[in-house]
Amino acid sequence: MADGNGSNFDQFAAGVFSNNPVLVQLLGMCPTLAVTNSVENALVMGAAVTFVVVMSNLITSLLRNLIQPHVRILIFTLTIATFVTIADMALRAYMFDVSKKLGAFVPLIIVNCIIICRAEVVAIKCSVSRSLADAFGMGLGFTMALTILGIVREILGAGTLLKQPVLPAAFVENGHNWVIMILPPGAFLTLGVVVGVVNHLRSRKATGGVA
Amino acid sequence: MRKFVAESWLVLVLGVVFACLLAGTQTQLSAKIQANQAKALENAIAEVVPGFDEKEQLEIDGNRVFKCVDGSGQVVGWAVDATGSGFIDKIRLVVGLSPDGATITGLKVIEDLETPGLGNKIEGEWADQYETLDATRPIVRVKGERHAADNEISAITGATYSSDYVTDIVNDVTRRIGPKLAEQQ
Amino acid sequence: MNLGELAAIFIGVALVNNLVLSGFLGICPFLGVSRKVDMAFGMGCAVTFVITVSGVVTWAIVHGPLNWVGNAVFGDPNSLAFLKYVTFIMVIASMVQLVEMYLKKFFPSLYTAFGVFLPLITTNCAILGACLYIDMKEETQHLLNAAVYAFGGGLGFTMAITIMAGIREHIRFSDVPKPLRGAGITLLVAGMLAMAFTGFTGIGK
Repeated sequence: MADGNGSNFDQFAAGVFSNNPVLVQLLGMCPTLAVTNSVENALVMGAAVTFVVVMSNLITSLLRNLIQPHVRILIFTLTIATFVTIADMALRAYMFDVSKKLGAFVPLIIVNCIIICRAEVVAIKCSVSRSLADAFGMGLGFTMALTILGIVREILGAGTLLKQPVLPAAFVENGHNWVIMILPPGAFLTLGVVVGVVNHLRSRKATGGVA
Repeated sequence: MRKFVAESWLVLVLGVVFACLLAGTQTQLSAKIQANQAKALENAIAEVVPGFDEKEQLEIDGNRVFKCVDGSGQVVGWAVDATGSGFIDKIRLVVGLSPDGATITGLKVIEDLETPGLGNKIEGEWADQYETLDATRPIVRVKGERHAADNEISAITGATYSSDYVTDIVNDVTRRIGPKLAEQQ
Repeated sequence: MNLGELAAIFIGVALVNNLVLSGFLGICPFLGVSRKVDMAFGMGCAVTFVITVSGVVTWAIVHGPLNWVGNAVFGDPNSLAFLKYVTFIMVIASMVQLVEMYLKKFFPSLYTAFGVFLPLITTNCAILGACLYIDMKEETQHLLNAAVYAFGGGLGFTMAITIMAGIREHIRFSDVPKPLRGAGITLLVAGMLAMAFTGFTGIGK
């Protein structure tokens, strides 16, 4: 884990790969499961979380010498809730259709543990540049994990990718698409398999690359 | 007291700053958000009642009804905004009716939370089969091949319930509101 | 307000649209605190308690002070809607604190039983999720309906997490492929549970 040591770039890269919030730390599972039935939803959700984690890390890091330890959780929560509300209003103003699909999962970013965890672990004790590098890494890592799930589920479930058909038309017309992938069970199954694959790759890496 | 102030001044200051920030965002964006919500309804009305120039909002039997007129003041159709229970949550749709209220001219679902990939097909082309059906008698939902002459629509495969809920809402509109339209002209 | 409507809301949120298995809320504790049945049940009870209290209190705040001040100052009950999310999370955090203090003082045995879970509950999205849904849905605009919705949501959560813990106690004796151990197999089992729960769709309509 790159907390504290290494360059800002290491901090950024850790969030995307070795310390990926979803696939390695298993945080922020609710939106990961709920909004990945299409790639578009996954990307918008990823962008919204990235915005909130960047703003929360920025504010926390700027105020880190003023925040009293007692009230820090309160301040984190207040900051996060504020920027989530802003993100929610912006989505409803500029991306109305997607925001309707995401529904309650936009306000639920408030309780996404990734964000409060980054404030507590990194932003409260690190410089602004480092906190930002961390936030962008985590945001990108989160978006990437969601997109992977979105790609799998959308292709298998609807035969499309970003609403463009990618599989032969007969796949959907003859009812061979796996509707279960778009439904809730498909989310659990896909994430379970993806987490298994990631664990497998990590253990191979740890033992020197020989399977 | 001093200890309290020392520990909590930042929370209070931040609270005020954030509240102002939110109020500012709200004033900036609320007009656009409301316009978005209104636009979904506008688009649906334009889809179910073709070729009108102006519309007037009425209330008939608890439903919002839009009287659509052309340039010469002639009524070209009606759009009824109706909500009813769906499979998962409420379904909101707009039914287009002919000037005499006897024929359905279109149907557009504008809000639903039906199952993605199955039930939410009610949002798409499926709804077009309601076009030209008779509004003076109930529409019947069948599985498989339908006969428009018998006022039938065919259910979505795997989403018979969603199809039923939509049909129920439409039948409710044609039964309660359809007959009252002619006298409103 | 009739009994049938309340029953429909209750069954809807506890079984058909189970908060965990079809609403994807409260997944973190569902995966994290489901190793043992007694732990899982304790967590479930704590969540049910807090969810009911917070659901009612947030309902009261939206329909009381927020609407009233909005109406009195700006002439539109919805004009303070932008404060909703901040208010909700503050209410939940303070409810959790209150419940913790209350239990510690008056029911020490209960406190030792599920006191450890209470701090975790603030970031349990099932609670905030239930409060948000109560605010969004039309049928929960009455206080009693809102309370039933919140309580049913909590019970549904308890049921899901307890079933999961029961299964996981048995998985310990199975030969699970190494990469899938832990979160992987738990998610796969959750997927199958979710499939089973889709069988409830259509009930209560």
